[in-house]
Amino acid sequence: MKILVDNVWYSYDGVTYALRNINIYLTEPGIYLITGPNGAGKTTLLKVISLLLKPTIGRILIEGVDYWNSSSVEKTRLKSTIIFVHDKPLLVRGSVEYNVSLGLKLKGLSSNDIIDYYIKRYNLSDVRNKSIYKLSAGQLKAASIIRALVLRPKLLALDEPFTFLDNTRVKLLIEDLLNLADKGSIVIVASHYIYRDLVEKCKGVIELFMGELLSLKIK
Amino acid sequence: MYLDLNEHIVNIVIRSLYVSGVASLLAFITAIVLCYYYSGRSRRSIDLIASIFEALVGVPTTIIGLLVYYLLYPNGPLGFMRLLYTPYAIIIGQFLVALPIAVVSLIRQFYNVRKRIRELILSLGLQSSRVEIILVLRELTPILASTYLLAFSRCIGELGVAMIAGGAIEGYTSVLTTTIAVQTSMGNFEEALVLGLVLISLTLLTAILIKSLSKILAGAFHYE
Repeated sequence: MKILVDNVWYSYDGVTYALRNINIYLTEPGIYLITGPNGAGKTTLLKVISLLLKPTIGRILIEGVDYWNSSSVEKTRLKSTIIFVHDKPLLVRGSVEYNVSLGLKLKGLSSNDIIDYYIKRYNLSDVRNKSIYKLSAGQLKAASIIRALVLRPKLLALDEPFTFLDNTRVKLLIEDLLNLADKGSIVIVASHYIYRDLVEKCKGVIELFMGELLSLKIK
Repeated sequence: MYLDLNEHIVNIVIRSLYVSGVASLLAFITAIVLCYYYSGRSRRSIDLIASIFEALVGVPTTIIGLLVYYLLYPNGPLGFMRLLYTPYAIIIGQFLVALPIAVVSLIRQFYNVRKRIRELILSLGLQSSRVEIILVLRELTPILASTYLLAFSRCIGELGVAMIAGGAIEGYTSVLTTTIAVQTSMGNFEEALVLGLVLISLTLLTAILIKSLSKILAGAFHYE
């Protein structure tokens, strides 16, 4: 998958711009980090790349297709390959298992093995059938990440994925993200937490400041 | 003298349940459709709509009864339908009584939940309004149950519409509240008290029943 962010500007209110003149071209699979202080525009850029927000100015090309100016069939096709994980877990009423399998069910897929694998891997077996209202913040976060991982997307965008996770789960997550990247996916992580493992193995670092691209380092 | 728990009372109870059940169900369904339709609007629009319906909640049922009477009066705009002093007139009036309260109970919930569900669906790489509706309704099931209960309680407990538009015709449009009022005005306090207890029991039983059913209803929206 190739992603072109072409002269992208984004404004929430039509007055001030959260993103200004962003140009990025990601051509190879791997993990890309988006870093920057609060208000730098990390989440906005991640949402624009994940096609959740339409750029106010500029365009996003996924596999050479301008998503926002494409047909609805093309939009559906492109969208189905992209998964976004929110910083605050977005879960629905029900058990952990229901939430983890929701993405697969909605896409008409079923794979109990992969769900079992990740639930065990992230130590959620004990709470598998519990309501999400009874989980800790870390467990909620893990559940929302697993829901994305089981879908094996071509582009996985994660907003602050390490918040609330303990060191064990952070290590597992970095391994899983690297595995996904090895299988050809692009993984984009926006985070305050900079883990050495991740920085060493990532394909690129996108640094933002006040909505502008401060630096872009692609290895 | 106690009013015998005979066919007469059973008929009043059945009529009350039927009229208020239908009216509250219609108001409930209309409120869901309205709230879902408007939940895609801006926060400001939602606040405006909610404020309008909040104001309508305070309209006395006698005024609504009067409005229905005016509409259905033989010389009124809908007089040709010949619905005045029929159970249908009460259903129309109670529908108008229950609708604002149902909308107020649901509209902000629909807005917040729909926004969250839409974000969730898009984040999972999907674009399906069918999935969105199912997930929103599933997420709101406990609130939907409470809202229906609220609408039903408001309908079965109101007097103004049933008296003015229904006419409290014995054996035809008399419901629990109108019978209580009539019996009281006739000095039959004991009978009125018995019917009052029946009314309270019915409301409580309905509350228990609907709360118990809410879990089953949640299962109905389970996405498989």
